[in-house]
Amino acid sequence: MPVLRSRVIPPTKPEIEPLKHPANKIEPATPARTWDTTRPASSGDDDGGDAGRKRKLDVSENLLGLEGGDREGFLNLRSGKKVIKRIGETDGGNSVDGKEKEKGKEKMDFEEVRMLREVSKDGVDVDKLDIKQNADGSCNEKRRRRFGREEKGKAKLIDEHSTVNGSEFINLDLELGTKHSEENVGSVSEPRKEQRVDKKSSVRLSESRMEQFRDIARQNASKFAYFNVEENHLSDDNERLVVADGEVEREIEDWPGPFSTAMKIVRDREKKLNGGQRIGSLDPKKKSNSSILWIPRKGQRQGPKLIIPSLKELSMKILVQNADAITSLEHVPDALRHKLSFMLCDSRQMNSHFLNLLFSGSPTEIRLRDCSWLTEQEFTKAFVSCDTKNLTVLQLDRCGRCMPDYILLSTLASSLNSLPSLTTLSICGACRISDVGFKALVTSAPALRSINLSQCSLLSSTSVDILADKLGSFIQELYINDCQSLNAMLILPALRKLKHLEVLSVAGIETVTDEFVRGFVYACGHNMKELILTDCVKLTDFSLKVIAETCPRLCTLDLSNLYKLTDFGIGYLANGCQAIQTLKLCRNAFSDEAIAAFLETAGEPLKELSLNNVRKVADNTALSLAKRSNKLVNLDLSWCRNLSDEALGLIVDSCLSLRMLKLFGCSQITNAFLDGHSNPDVQIIGLKMSPVLEHIKRNPCFRWVPAAENYERAADCTKLTQNLMDFTILETPTT
Amino acid sequence: MKKEDTVKLISAEGFEFVISKEAAMVSQTIRNMLTSPGGFAETEHGEVTFPEISTTILEKICQYFYWSLQYSRGKETDFHIEPELTLELMMAANYLHT
Repeated sequence: MPVLRSRVIPPTKPEIEPLKHPANKIEPATPARTWDTTRPASSGDDDGGDAGRKRKLDVSENLLGLEGGDREGFLNLRSGKKVIKRIGETDGGNSVDGKEKEKGKEKMDFEEVRMLREVSKDGVDVDKLDIKQNADGSCNEKRRRRFGREEKGKAKLIDEHSTVNGSEFINLDLELGTKHSEENVGSVSEPRKEQRVDKKSSVRLSESRMEQFRDIARQNASKFAYFNVEENHLSDDNERLVVADGEVEREIEDWPGPFSTAMKIVRDREKKLNGGQRIGSLDPKKKSNSSILWIPRKGQRQGPKLIIPSLKELSMKILVQNADAITSLEHVPDALRHKLSFMLCDSRQMNSHFLNLLFSGSPTEIRLRDCSWLTEQEFTKAFVSCDTKNLTVLQLDRCGRCMPDYILLSTLASSLNSLPSLTTLSICGACRISDVGFKALVTSAPALRSINLSQCSLLSSTSVDILADKLGSFIQELYINDCQSLNAMLILPALRKLKHLEVLSVAGIETVTDEFVRGFVYACGHNMKELILTDCVKLTDFSLKVIAETCPRLCTLDLSNLYKLTDFGIGYLANGCQAIQTLKLCRNAFSDEAIAAFLETAGEPLKELSLNNVRKVADNTALSLAKRSNKLVNLDLSWCRNLSDEALGLIVDSCLSLRMLKLFGCSQITNAFLDGHSNPDVQIIGLKMSPVLEHIKRNPCFRWVPAAENYERAADCTKLTQNLMDFTILETPTT
Repeated sequence: MKKEDTVKLISAEGFEFVISKEAAMVSQTIRNMLTSPGGFAETEHGEVTFPEISTTILEKICQYFYWSLQYSRGKETDFHIEPELTLELMMAANYLHT
């Protein structure tokens, strides 16, 4: 979390409004007017930043109102008289004006003439020229002082904006005055800036010092600058990604490799199809954009397959309703125990009675998806009666309430080796466990292979160090989603020691950068099977490049919300990771051709694919899916509005293994597809009103299989999840 | 019913339940047992023994088979299960994959 500190640059969330950003270099309407880049977007104080942004919003409205040609307002800016007044009033309030004047003074002659003109037009005091001179002098000082404040990083966002003419903002370019390698720079803007600077340099006084200040501010400003995710997203076609250490891949055709071949094939195919007649249009009146040939099945379609409730489900339903009457869970296999436990947790009927049943005897696996109802006393009491010597799997998710350090020390970590057989542990949401408690836990479970520490917000890099020291050579799966106190670069040395790591999830940790990914995969990439990088928004194509080079056995990759990735990244992946079975893309900026080429190259082994909100997906992808994806079981095409009925029909009829198709937000799909496709096994979700919750995938701590060596089984586990989800359709808790 | 159309399910206590093959096939496990190529005794004689399943449970299971056939033909009724049986029934159903 960003902390108010001077000079230290807090990690800022990239959000944004470049248009309103003062640190941006403005392309002024009037050449004389230039903004000072020393104005940072915000100080280290987030509130200030937020408030500033809010103010900016308000301001822009004012400005727009002004823009219509409120000469009065415009004039006020120019009139020296007003400037002086403001200098008196607020400290920095008019320093902007002062700065304007400063810059303006290079164009002094022009400006003066203009001002004089305006003055004479509006009949304001003609002496303003002299006043202006004075103002300049005093403003100069003001400005210097203001620089001083800014240099200290304490500059606050002030209302100067209200004094500025709207047209300036309108003409603001997306120029983040930045030398920051990761940011996109309107490269054209740089030379312009330089020109302007050159012009100014001809002027006297503290020009050199101004330059210095400007440079310093320019360097700092980039770190304060925000940029709009959406703006970024939309304009990505024109952006050049500059990679962290300066490597830049420019031409996709320059590569050798199957991906570029595939891209050519895709493009040729598209040309051929589009060149030919438009065929496959179902409705002759409606102009079909799709050039895919798909003829829907005519005739009466067999009704949806009747789902006969199985005996197991029926009896489970009754058990869940009468959970309190169960006296013993002896001889009940673990899978059934888990199912019962999950159903009870989901319907909030889980209580300490059932908990005791689960803990009694010498259980081998205990899974509780939700422990938020559990109090400390209940947990302690239940655990005391538990013989943990055979316990191999322990899942206590959302146990923050009942698991502070002292409870941990008195139960799970009560003695060295108190959990001798434990291989899988999940304590998601254990927000009260600190490094001390974690250390005790690790020492009492020496056989751990898989550990899930998601949302354990107090754990710091010390914990990861301890983990690496004690269990470094055994750990195979590590989930540290959303651990806010972990800094990616600080834990990198410890992570590099985990030589047998197969699954790593760093979802939600914002400090994950390309450097981190590179450092990690170079050490551990050869064994990696699953990488979850959701929400690590700083990552760029470079990360995909290194992953493709070093992780040949990668089976699962989650790249949701990584908007900086481009087609180059997908290209690297296609060339390098040919064994991917589960690929999750969400809100990425990949193009239709790139995804199609990826599928052509590396799409054969895919079992689960999510293209949620990858908006550019269209016919090319559909054709490639139909051709290549024989093993595909789960497909998510939500929000892909460019897919037509024909395209979907082709996909569904060709992917014979397909069982689940998600189409949320695809309002362009009509009954022509729904009734016309001939795949009887596929379940289509998201179009009509259907119970939605069942199809939400749970967090990985449930889905993964404890024995990580049986990786093939993990795919079956997806089915297990699905079955469970199907089951809850019947259950539909009424609470 | 003809002999060829039936199978015999034998419980732990030795009770024999004779049901139609179609009904028995509702259970995936039994279906595999009866149709697997391999010359198993079950396939030949059409008899399957369940040493872990008690009589009451096996009886309920057979009732479920017929109910399931009825359901798939359109007659959708409720299948009542006595609560005392549910735990064991669940385990048996899990084993029989039904």
